[in-house]
Amino acid sequence: MEAKAPSFFQSSVDRRFFLRSAVATIALPSLEAFADEKKQPESGTARNFVAIGAYLGWHQKAFYPAATGRGYEMPRTLKPIEAYRDQFTIFSGLDHRAPNGHGAWINFLSGKAPGTYSLDQQIADQVGGKSRFASIELATGVGEGAKTMSFTKQGVGLPTIMRPSVFYKQLFVSKEDRERAEYLIKSGKSSLDSVLGDAKRFQSTLPKRDREKLDEYFDSFRAVEKRMDRQLATLDEPVPETGYQLPSYDPITPNLQMEAGSIMYDLMVLALESGSTHVLSLFLDGLGQVFAIDGETLKAGYHALSHHGNDPEMIEDLVAIERAHIDCFAGFLRQLSEKKDPTGKTLLDDTVILLGTGMGDASRHSNANLPTLVAGGGFNHGQHLAIDAKKPDAPLLGDLYLTLMERMGIEQESFSNASRNLNQLFS
Amino acid sequence: MSGLNPVYGGVLAAAVLFGLPVSLRAELESVPEPVQDILFESCFECHDGDSEKGGINLDQVEIPWGDPGAVAQWYKVFKVIDHGHMPPPDKPQLSEEKKKELLAFLDAELREHTSIGGTLPRRLNRLEYQNTIRTTFRMDEFELPIGFPKDNREHGFDTVSEALVLSPPLLAAYHEVAGQIADELFPPARTLPGPTLRRAGVEDLVLSFSAATVHGDALRLACSSTDSIMRSSTWPSKIEVTTSGMYRVTIDASTFRPRDDSSLTLEVRARDVAASDRSSTKVHRLLKEFEVTSESPETFSLEAELYEGQTLLFRWADAELTHDPKVFAPLLKKRFEEDPRFLAAWQEMLFPKRKGRAPVPSLRGRNGWEIYQRHLNDPNLDLSDATMDSRYTKEILKLAQDPGAVRNLGDSLTYEYHEFGPALELHGVTIEGPFSAVDGPKDIRRTSIREYSFGKRLETDTDEAYARRGISGFLTRLFRRPVDSETIAAFLQVAKDHWEAGHSFDEGMHLVLRQALVSPRFLLRETSPGKLDQHDLASRIAYFLTRYPPTSQIVHFARAGKLSDPEVLRSEIERLIPTSPSAPMIKDFAGQWLHTRLLPEIMPDASFDFTVEEVELARIEAERFFAKMIEENRPMTDWIAPDFMLTSRRFAEENYGYPPKGGKLAGASVTYRSDHMKIERLQIDPKGIHGGLLGQSATMMATANGVDTQPVLRGVWVLENILGMPTPPVPQNVPALTPDVQGTTTPRELLAAHTKSADCASCHRHIDPIGFALENFDPVGRWRENWPETGVPIDSTGVLPDGTKIAGYLDFKQWLVSNISLVSECLAEKLMIYATGRIPSYAEQVEIKGIVDRIEAEKGGFRDLLVALIESETFQTR
Repeated sequence: MEAKAPSFFQSSVDRRFFLRSAVATIALPSLEAFADEKKQPESGTARNFVAIGAYLGWHQKAFYPAATGRGYEMPRTLKPIEAYRDQFTIFSGLDHRAPNGHGAWINFLSGKAPGTYSLDQQIADQVGGKSRFASIELATGVGEGAKTMSFTKQGVGLPTIMRPSVFYKQLFVSKEDRERAEYLIKSGKSSLDSVLGDAKRFQSTLPKRDREKLDEYFDSFRAVEKRMDRQLATLDEPVPETGYQLPSYDPITPNLQMEAGSIMYDLMVLALESGSTHVLSLFLDGLGQVFAIDGETLKAGYHALSHHGNDPEMIEDLVAIERAHIDCFAGFLRQLSEKKDPTGKTLLDDTVILLGTGMGDASRHSNANLPTLVAGGGFNHGQHLAIDAKKPDAPLLGDLYLTLMERMGIEQESFSNASRNLNQLFS
Repeated sequence: MSGLNPVYGGVLAAAVLFGLPVSLRAELESVPEPVQDILFESCFECHDGDSEKGGINLDQVEIPWGDPGAVAQWYKVFKVIDHGHMPPPDKPQLSEEKKKELLAFLDAELREHTSIGGTLPRRLNRLEYQNTIRTTFRMDEFELPIGFPKDNREHGFDTVSEALVLSPPLLAAYHEVAGQIADELFPPARTLPGPTLRRAGVEDLVLSFSAATVHGDALRLACSSTDSIMRSSTWPSKIEVTTSGMYRVTIDASTFRPRDDSSLTLEVRARDVAASDRSSTKVHRLLKEFEVTSESPETFSLEAELYEGQTLLFRWADAELTHDPKVFAPLLKKRFEEDPRFLAAWQEMLFPKRKGRAPVPSLRGRNGWEIYQRHLNDPNLDLSDATMDSRYTKEILKLAQDPGAVRNLGDSLTYEYHEFGPALELHGVTIEGPFSAVDGPKDIRRTSIREYSFGKRLETDTDEAYARRGISGFLTRLFRRPVDSETIAAFLQVAKDHWEAGHSFDEGMHLVLRQALVSPRFLLRETSPGKLDQHDLASRIAYFLTRYPPTSQIVHFARAGKLSDPEVLRSEIERLIPTSPSAPMIKDFAGQWLHTRLLPEIMPDASFDFTVEEVELARIEAERFFAKMIEENRPMTDWIAPDFMLTSRRFAEENYGYPPKGGKLAGASVTYRSDHMKIERLQIDPKGIHGGLLGQSATMMATANGVDTQPVLRGVWVLENILGMPTPPVPQNVPALTPDVQGTTTPRELLAAHTKSADCASCHRHIDPIGFALENFDPVGRWRENWPETGVPIDSTGVLPDGTKIAGYLDFKQWLVSNISLVSECLAEKLMIYATGRIPSYAEQVEIKGIVDRIEAEKGGFRDLLVALIESETFQTR
């Protein structure tokens, strides 16, 4: 569906959103999207948030549709999720105006200052208290060191879980682990008297003013004891049977990234479904691993391919890897859309999914124009929204984040360098 | 800015927390009449019983000096009058004489009614806790869990006792960590699983970069690089040993077109599955080498110990191809000499149609190889340049000297070997086991940590005898002081009861350990009241100077009661004093005092073209500078106007205009990060713009926001952290003033509003001139003459708190040098707060000031000051 941009489009949209009108053939966003412009976006209607980030980015030309608006032809990388085209929105032209280079990749969820309070953690700090884990950070294909895209308010990078078996164990504590936990609590409680007795003796050697300080210790100690009692009570609850079969090994080496990815997505569905957490992040690393895709060994390692220098054959192989990532992601969307709560709402509608990157173009190490996709969360999806970043006051990726946060029920004035939102364009 | 603490509020809060009961508020003393008159004339308009502006009522005929609240209030009065914040500028000012009289009265009373000491037992903060665990158990890599509660800060530091509260989440975290540590020493018993056979076919071996390719049923290796396994090796990534034990390994291997029928060496190593693919071959344990001689597959087998988390690693150890330019360049030359078609195809690959050079990274791996192959198979391949003296040949051989280019070209050439040989072929691998359990590195480490913590068990030891001896030694180190027999008995009883309930020796010790790690004797430091005893003195000195608990020599002296000997004390201080920029104390103290902790969060706006590396360099400069001040016992004036700076030449050139105009820039030819980051001592003019605390990027960045400068923030920061004249918190209901540099309005014009309202002016007449004096430093600390965008020349003139008129930063710098004792006192106070965990009382301030004056009179340096502070009564009193 292609149409010349009519004057209505120019005047009403330029007013605020600076869609890329310079494109010669531009698809018109559906009229419905603009009809209810004044409608307040629904706030707090999604309970879960998932962020997925690719270290080597997403090759723009294969990620962005040629046309904007609805009815675009599905770009090569996103072919595996064609069936869910009404469940996601593609954004082009957004970024954080952050510095360039691999080192600054972590701008993805942090905004303009890489390595600061990340979107997932901001959300987790608001909604995480409602579940067993405030958030869980995952990664696949990590070839070296401890990389992460999640940062606490204090700017501490959160380590990621790379082993599916560890993730599974966190979610579904085994009988052995329960027994161990029970033993630790009970043995600890049994010897409390001697320890607290010694602590009291210590307290009695101190001057009065210090003794009051020690009361702080005893008060806290009692609170911990109560917590232990509560833990003991929950340990008796039955262990859910998931029937999920993990492989005999953990696919943690980079070449097994796709295998790790599809398992992680399966477990992420279980984590959300069981309400173990409401916030997940999945980091897709990239190093020298050479993939064989559809029986074909690719020309070079992932990282080497990302430095394609516009060589069409290198790009072809790079896109094959990115499509394989999206293929794994398709399994995630499928499962989320099949699971429904008693009211008939799908888990996908209950989950805001942000898939993106901190790197706009890995071949040049440019961190501008970050390919971004939002799925689920009950948004009015199905479009490619192209932002012209050259316009003064063009919206930032952080503005989209504010809209996503609002969907999670978090009303916040600003995110990093962004202080508006995209509600008018995307709701 | 979180670091700018409301100091006065803090003093009051501290006083309230001291919480002395009313009964102690005796010592009522009447205020002499002349003083009452001064207060009446100059203060009562706002601070009498009716107005009580700011909650301050000075209309008291008698002052209850026994009440800490009263002491705090009058100390505050002393400060605001001494610093000239009060009376406000629109009110009648005190004459010099009256000011002197009032201050003299307060000085005498405050000296009499304040004492030395008063830190509450203070819990270890995060850093101290972590370091104490590391030292006590020799667990050098111990890190706190991410969710471990953060410490609060008071007066700018996270070592202050009032802020180091004990809370339920914190106690819960202590329990959690205690369990993890106990697991390290006394892990739960495990059983040996039965042996299993696991197979990895060719398709299960890793292809990493260009190290290997698959040809039919064989995986070929052709490169022997050792710098990173991902460029030369392969491994079965789906096999990971979960139990350390003896395993049987078989490998099917063959040769592919070996040169001269020589044998190929297959190297088998053990790698940790979780290790980096970038790691060097050498860090992985060599299991065995085999000589492969047959072109048809043969089975090689070995028995070896494999540890938890490991798999195998294979490399052709004597392949001629590597990524080392020293080997690669001659190899390529030899190949060129041998085969003109090979040479011609390389020329076409690198200089397609001779129209300039193809970008080397795009030739990496199979892409380059396919281009090369296309040319090689081209019957019309142009051989006219295929000579050794062709300039293209020479250029390629020059490229072969560059490590970066060789990483790419080596990855391409390896395909040629895979295709034409020689190569080493693998056909499949099996791993069977475990047949018996062995101690892996983790087990060995556990044993060593356990023996370090509890001593070796003697053959004659009963469980109880060993436990008693172990617990006694261990608790002494954990609690950092001798432990009495009753306490030892209490902890031993925990183990005995547990054994009696049917648990194992290890389980009993596990429990003792968990309980000891949540004892207040471990969690609180320096608990002896009054003058610190020997052990607590050792503790305070060690935690202050090293951020670690006391160990070895200082403990030895403390136990022998010799630490009070001035000579011993002095030598211990000298031994522990940090002089390396990476010393934990320097990073930690400077990070908090100079706010360089904030730097990673302040990513300067792209318009400053300031890289992540430069942010790091700014922090490094601040830390190096601090370390150098101690190491060389530099005069205190060097804080402000040194004749050197410590940064990279490139950084100085780009940000500090070094060397002066007309000099030669080093920048253009410098390519590598290591050169950018190489720190040098650069000679500068002490009267110049850069160098010193204020003339460096770190502080100017930390006091801006990465986008624009905020003169008020800088002014407040300097008053608090350099001059020790902190300003009271901003009054409620005052809108923040954000400098808007658009149009023609300068920040200066905007801030002029401050001096119009008397409420604002009492502080802003001190803050703003300093902030403006620093306006020539942009948000990354570079010098500028004009305000951005408007281009209006910066007006940095002003009047300092003592009435001195300045024309700009250089005058301010000169003023600081002439008033260096203010800077010294401020820094001395900060160090004292950081070390003792309390805000110095008036009496302590008097002692600190005395020390600063003495060091200045003796022309001593910063190191002398640091030593003298530790030797003070204030430091040595809890």
